[in-house]
Amino acid sequence: MFQNFRLSMAWVHTWFGLVLGFVLMICFFFGALSVFDREIDRWAIPASRFAPQPMPSFDKLLRPVFEDMQPNKESLDYLRSRVDGPLPSYFSTVHSWAAYTTHRDPVLGIYAEWEVPKVRNEDDTAWGNSTIDPRTGMLLPDDQLKIGSQFFYPMHYGLHLTWHGLGYWIVGLAALVMLAALVSGVVMHRKIFREFFTFRPQKATQRSVLDLHNLSGVLALPFHFFFAFTGLVIFASIYFPVAETQLKPLHELHEKLEEKTTGLPHERSRLAAPLASVDAMVAEAQRRWEAKGMAGEVGYLSVSHVGAANSYVSIYRAGTDRIALVGDGIHFKASTGQLLREDPPRTTPDSLNTFLTGLHLQHFRHWLLRWLYVLGGLLGCVCIATGFIFFVEKRKKQHAKTGSQGSRVVDALAVTTVTGMLIATLTILIANRVLPEFLPVGWPARGDLEFYLFWAGWLLAMAHAFVRSAPVAQGQLNPAWREQCWAVAGMAVAAVLLNWITTGDHLIRTVFTHTYWPVAGVDLFLLASAALAALATRMLTARMKAFKPKLSQPQTEELAHA
Amino acid sequence: MHDVLLLTASVLTGVTGMAWLALAMEVHWAQVCRQPLPANAVLRLRILGGAALLASLVLCLLVDHASMAALVWVMALTAGALTVALLLTWRPHWLVWLAWGAGVKKQF
Repeated sequence: MFQNFRLSMAWVHTWFGLVLGFVLMICFFFGALSVFDREIDRWAIPASRFAPQPMPSFDKLLRPVFEDMQPNKESLDYLRSRVDGPLPSYFSTVHSWAAYTTHRDPVLGIYAEWEVPKVRNEDDTAWGNSTIDPRTGMLLPDDQLKIGSQFFYPMHYGLHLTWHGLGYWIVGLAALVMLAALVSGVVMHRKIFREFFTFRPQKATQRSVLDLHNLSGVLALPFHFFFAFTGLVIFASIYFPVAETQLKPLHELHEKLEEKTTGLPHERSRLAAPLASVDAMVAEAQRRWEAKGMAGEVGYLSVSHVGAANSYVSIYRAGTDRIALVGDGIHFKASTGQLLREDPPRTTPDSLNTFLTGLHLQHFRHWLLRWLYVLGGLLGCVCIATGFIFFVEKRKKQHAKTGSQGSRVVDALAVTTVTGMLIATLTILIANRVLPEFLPVGWPARGDLEFYLFWAGWLLAMAHAFVRSAPVAQGQLNPAWREQCWAVAGMAVAAVLLNWITTGDHLIRTVFTHTYWPVAGVDLFLLASAALAALATRMLTARMKAFKPKLSQPQTEELAHA
Repeated sequence: MHDVLLLTASVLTGVTGMAWLALAMEVHWAQVCRQPLPANAVLRLRILGGAALLASLVLCLLVDHASMAALVWVMALTAGALTVALLLTWRPHWLVWLAWGAGVKKQF
């Protein structure tokens, strides 16, 4: 099909990169934001702006909260058609309770599952979740969107396309294409070492954009490769659901065997027994970790088959000091507090798996590495964005001659995914600060409204990009780039000001007098983005002015012909 | 505080190492020093650059568990290489002081 290997690689790189580049841009950008998801949550929910807390006392604080919990609305809606007869008004048989925290969480996420009577598929359970203040046990209002961990983060791996898990599949395909693009990119690049440090902004746009594309791709190559790869590893069970399909009998047998070796019952017993002190079990677990030379806090705590005689408590360590995502779980019999099992040392494949997933999911406490991940993610964005621009630059003169609209459309889509995505992101942050605490009756929940406004902001940016795209078809620059950069600068400053007005947390306060880095960090990052966007606006304005005289030439020529 | 200093040192040695590796290249040497690269300097600069990168790794290992240190190092090298590339583009003379690594007795 092609004369040589390099050309065929170039074809793969260009076209697959173009089509899935739009998705990859979203993955990289929201992934970079997700590195600081908890901090963005603090910015978005002012009531949660306090210091991270350890796991609170189960016996005194968590147990009463869990006992008051009931399934949430989505769960009941899901189950309604999956049971024979009506759903019970009160769910009494608790399948499990769980609480999860990290070293960056002031608030605590709790989760519960209930068994459902007369359900057709016995694996179906009712579920509910809440966020509480671990100092008091008070519930946080559930209509508040945790913009970082519940919006930006799922956007990163699922695009909020939940229909049949479509988002996961698109992202997975994009990750696979990313790997192919990296390999083909390395093959295409003739001077990978000779131009390792090369960026020549004073050369023609096409050359300098390609320099930047190569630079951002090559310098962060280990990052790009490992994050695309480990992203696929994390969701391997979704992409290869063998445990649910071909190998389902084996999987079920494995669960039974596992029960035998671990002593942790898979099925609930019919006999009832009260729950002993879980705090005592936590103390014992911490003593055992300390004895192994790895003293630590509790990250995840769960009680399975609550109320049954074979109920057990699992306590996992918060993995703040290592990459591998492991909990060194310790399990106790819930009724007596007797030790049932300590997770054994991991096998080699398991260690590798937990290292790879941990590397991507980053539960560790390491602020430098977090920032370096943000840098890696943003370099990924630069690489993809410059890829789009190069695609357009290379073709737009030719397209202008032949009257093709190809580069015009690609350029408008590039505006949408580069500056448009920033506008959408800033829209949700601004909406979060502007919307009133309590909305009128009949309105959607506050969090839902923020969600809709995000998409509305993005659609508007897209419309603007297309409306303004005509000059591209004449080989010129789309003014939408400049205008949207301008909007980004304004909106980022507005978000910082609105945070100050609505919460009283201005930068002097959050940096100096009442230091609170999560909020100060978001504000500073917004201001830095505003400065960069303003600089980009200035440079684009200068460039458009430089274009003007050339613009008039072909017009006069046309007039001469007419 | 101790860890912060070690990690800062690690990042800075990473930048320095990358700068030496860049200086070992004809084009970049000319950008920084405005004269041709002495033939016998290439190997010296490369060895120095490599040694600095290794030192950066050792500094990372002093702070964290090996699995974490390896990641910090790789990412710090990315940041270092990017810093050098951008300095070469906009402020090449900032790297002049590293030219002593070439072993040339000359005033730059």
